[in-house]
Amino acid sequence: MRLKRRHESAAVIPTASMADIAFLLIVFFMVTITFEKDKTQVALPKTELRFEVPKEAAYISVTNNGQIRVTNGEHMSTPLDSIDDVVSFAANLVVEFPDRPVVLKADDNVPYRNIDEVIDSLKQAKVELIYLLSEQERVDTPSGG
Amino acid sequence: MKLKQNKPSDEIPTSSMADIAFLLIVYFMVTTTFAATRGLDFALPKDDDTPPIVEKEDSVLVEVNAFGDVLVDQKPTELEDIFDYLKPKLERNPKKPVIIKPDPEAPYGSMVKVFDTLRRIKIKIDGTAVSVREIDMKIIQEAEAELEEGENLESILGKDVNVSIPTQREIESFWY
Repeated sequence: MRLKRRHESAAVIPTASMADIAFLLIVFFMVTITFEKDKTQVALPKTELRFEVPKEAAYISVTNNGQIRVTNGEHMSTPLDSIDDVVSFAANLVVEFPDRPVVLKADDNVPYRNIDEVIDSLKQAKVELIYLLSEQERVDTPSGG
Repeated sequence: MKLKQNKPSDEIPTSSMADIAFLLIVYFMVTTTFAATRGLDFALPKDDDTPPIVEKEDSVLVEVNAFGDVLVDQKPTELEDIFDYLKPKLERNPKKPVIIKPDPEAPYGSMVKVFDTLRRIKIKIDGTAVSVREIDMKIIQEAEAELEEGENLESILGKDVNVSIPTQREIESFWY
């Protein structure tokens, strides 16, 4: 007697739950994302020491061609017409959010004159703490040391 | 003769859902830019209209010229040599002020490098000055995490050098 051939199971990978997995990933990314308040692209200077910048901070960005954008940390950054406006921005900031640090996001190659004026404005407005945003400098450690 | 009826399936086709979702993920991943969230902190002088008078002779003057070269007390110095120059001075007087005075045309990055170099110098409780490196950041972070109420980082890592970066306006009004 000839046996009936065994029923072959279909070689299919179950993909029904793929969509669930993918959407869970999307939801995870959407929940964990924090939006940058200042999207200016600058080549940051490199330092070896770097400290975490508090989440609630005001940003001042200075690009290579001297353009300045500011945000008090609540809204997206807005451009300033001239460097002299930094004083009034900083004064408003100190009144509204007295303990908020200011993060200076300036390009590596900006002439120091511009930074000097920004820092001077911040000093005049009695800002107490600023952060100089930087990238990590890689250190070549001597071998065996 | 009875025709066989072709019954349409009453299921929503979901087989392409995964493709759509993964496309969305890829889109978000490609368009995401990572925010730089670390930097050097720099405490500005407290609300005080009379800045401490620093005798020029007492302090170490670190200048950065327009080309980004460093001059310590008027002598051209490499970044790595600043520590060796400052070490004996700081061990004699841990409060010795160090003034960074960049040229208006100097690139911002070179001033930050000098500031970084000075910030890496720590004066331990026993009075010796050491220069910490990047690797030590782990220790700093661990120490930061284990800080207890009322304790501060200085007791573990040592004191910072007294660095000030006067602005052009301050230099004009106080120095001359």
